[in-house]
Amino acid sequence: MGTSRNVERRTILKAAGATAATLGLAATTGCGGGSGSSGDGTVTLRYAWWGGEPRTIAIKKTIALFEKKYPKIKIKPEFTDYQAFWEKFQTQASGGNPPDVFQNAVGFLRKYDKRGVLLDLKSQADAGNLSLDNFRNGILVNGQVDGKQLGIPVGANTMALVIDLKAFKKAGVEAKMGWTWDEYFAALQTIQDKLKISGDTGYHGIMYLYDLYLRQNGKAFFTDSDLGFTEDDLTQWWTDAYKRVKSGLVADPKKIEQVQPKSGLSAGLAASEFTWDNFSIRYEGEGESDYGLAPIPTTDGKHTGQYLGSLMLSAFAGTKHPKEAAQFISFMVHDPEVGKIMGYDRGILATTEQYDAFTPTDANNKGVKAYEEEVAKAGVLGKITPHPSGADVIEAAFLRIGGEVSQGKTKPADAAKALFSESKAAFAG
Amino acid sequence: MTLVKEAPVRPAKKRSAAPAAGRRGRRRENLAGYLFMSPWIAGFLVLTAGPMIASLYYAFTRYNLFTPPEWVGFDNFTTMFQDPRWQKSVEVTLKYVVVATPLKLLLALGVALLLAQKRRGQGLYRAAFYMPSLIGASVSVGFVWRALFSDDAIVDRTQKVFGLDVGGWIGNPDYVLYSLVALSIWQFGAPMVIFLAGLKQVPQELYEAAEMDGAGPLRRFWNITLPMISPVLFFNVLLESIHAFQVFGSAYVVSNTQCGPADATLVYTCYLYQKGFKEAQMGFASAMAWSLVVAVALVTAVLFWSQKKWVHYEEAAK
Repeated sequence: MGTSRNVERRTILKAAGATAATLGLAATTGCGGGSGSSGDGTVTLRYAWWGGEPRTIAIKKTIALFEKKYPKIKIKPEFTDYQAFWEKFQTQASGGNPPDVFQNAVGFLRKYDKRGVLLDLKSQADAGNLSLDNFRNGILVNGQVDGKQLGIPVGANTMALVIDLKAFKKAGVEAKMGWTWDEYFAALQTIQDKLKISGDTGYHGIMYLYDLYLRQNGKAFFTDSDLGFTEDDLTQWWTDAYKRVKSGLVADPKKIEQVQPKSGLSAGLAASEFTWDNFSIRYEGEGESDYGLAPIPTTDGKHTGQYLGSLMLSAFAGTKHPKEAAQFISFMVHDPEVGKIMGYDRGILATTEQYDAFTPTDANNKGVKAYEEEVAKAGVLGKITPHPSGADVIEAAFLRIGGEVSQGKTKPADAAKALFSESKAAFAG
Repeated sequence: MTLVKEAPVRPAKKRSAAPAAGRRGRRRENLAGYLFMSPWIAGFLVLTAGPMIASLYYAFTRYNLFTPPEWVGFDNFTTMFQDPRWQKSVEVTLKYVVVATPLKLLLALGVALLLAQKRRGQGLYRAAFYMPSLIGASVSVGFVWRALFSDDAIVDRTQKVFGLDVGGWIGNPDYVLYSLVALSIWQFGAPMVIFLAGLKQVPQELYEAAEMDGAGPLRRFWNITLPMISPVLFFNVLLESIHAFQVFGSAYVVSNTQCGPADATLVYTCYLYQKGFKEAQMGFASAMAWSLVVAVALVTAVLFWSQKKWVHYEEAAK
């Protein structure tokens, strides 16, 4: 290193000073980014969500509206895509530093309740900081676990079949309420024969769809703490799926994989795709055809197994400002202006105030509204199935292992076995 | 070879006869040295050594980040060895290391041999070949790679011209790993520069003498170049294999964060990441991390042991 033999005292002092400065700097930067209150009584809340750009633009508008109405509360936004959101959240929450208010979903409620992260909002409702009135179709229950109100729904959605309208018309097949799985697969066959494209993009890995199928047959994907079906059930589901992939009835998973993040339906690889109804808005922007919502096929011609799911807002149990967090959530789910801005981005608006304030004008939102009304009218809606802690990990495993089956890399029976073994670990985690 | 040529000069043992003032000066000099180093030392202790010790402890616990770690002894290791996905990740990683490392080094050496000759625009060529190493690790290159190797993209179309129709490498579990191998090979710049430096050190008179004895280019390469650059080759093999064991970014991006399809790009670190950050099994992930450390250490040890058989240092040549 240094060549000088005579190191002066000044040099040592300088070095010491530099070191102290560096460490001091590190110490000060180490504690940035937290929420808190400033001297003038202004409170800052961190608010985090996942979603695409349109959602972020809309949410930022609603934040501005809130800050105008509550000048003493400032909102600091944090947003990413779905995957990154939960990875980041997990780390933040374990470090005791999650956002004060955040978007949540039913698959995560028990998991984070078990870890003491979620604030029971009932007490805030009792204190008058948050209104639990006017939720449509009893959807408030989606945010409840063991008598606690852990999330407040912002919207309601349900599974649907999105179809390529042009393709269905050209093939001369019709998707009608109460159709059976056999009729659905027969329709896919007709599409394949007449149009030379696959009918479905790959239904076999969608946990929520398999849940509907199980519910149609008197079972469910989850019980309170376990899986609600057998290895044989799943083996059968995946055996049939693999046959349909092989025959081309279901699109080649190799191709579906490569068009991501675009969907196989909008890429024109198939004529239909199962998803949540509020997701259907993406297809129009992505693809070149016209898209519509069609009913879920049934086993008995009546019951679809459907229920209303929802995205919700939750608050951190350790937030320094539970009152303000509750006020913010209340504003976000009840204020009519917020409803107008958000539209059906996170599902059909959950409260009557917001639902009445927003009248869809474009075909997509109109379609989503008509679909949910039709489903509600058909009287098929059931209660939401439980999601034990670990449901999120199992959902990812179901998609991955389903993919292995369709790629011909794992035999259905082995795949079912693998899912059961991974689920066991996920429940224990 | 300059890298290892000079034997360390041992300072004469008995120098303590130096005056006390000198000793004080040296002590002061040391003190200054440590002071200058202290930010680094502090950083090392807090950001590297500390977490490493913590993770060694976690490797023997069940730890989901929220509840306190629970001591489980060697449970994580036994579960790990029985876990089919862990086995798959080891298989995928070994395949990657064994295929990517030699190919990358071969290309690096080949290009270095070409670039070692004097020609016009030499600097430009060297810069151009080195460039991918600088940007290769970036996420954007991963995306570009995904686009290149997808269905109906340029690679697929080119293949079809030659009658090879696989429909894109990215979605195909049998091919996707090789797109990562290709990405690794493409970044051959760093080992190439090291090879170049090594080639420059080979004394020209050896070639001249060999030429006079009638040795052809192949023979000269085999009997002069290769033995003379073997220390550099050893260094590159070591470094590149260690790098290959740690591959993560490209696998994560090219496979759309899923390390798939069908776990085909489930490299070791990708699985480790999934276990730690997606499934919150930090104990298991730590056990995986330490197993990787041990495995890489073993591979390094084997390579060091093997160098006696094929690496020629100049002292030995004398």
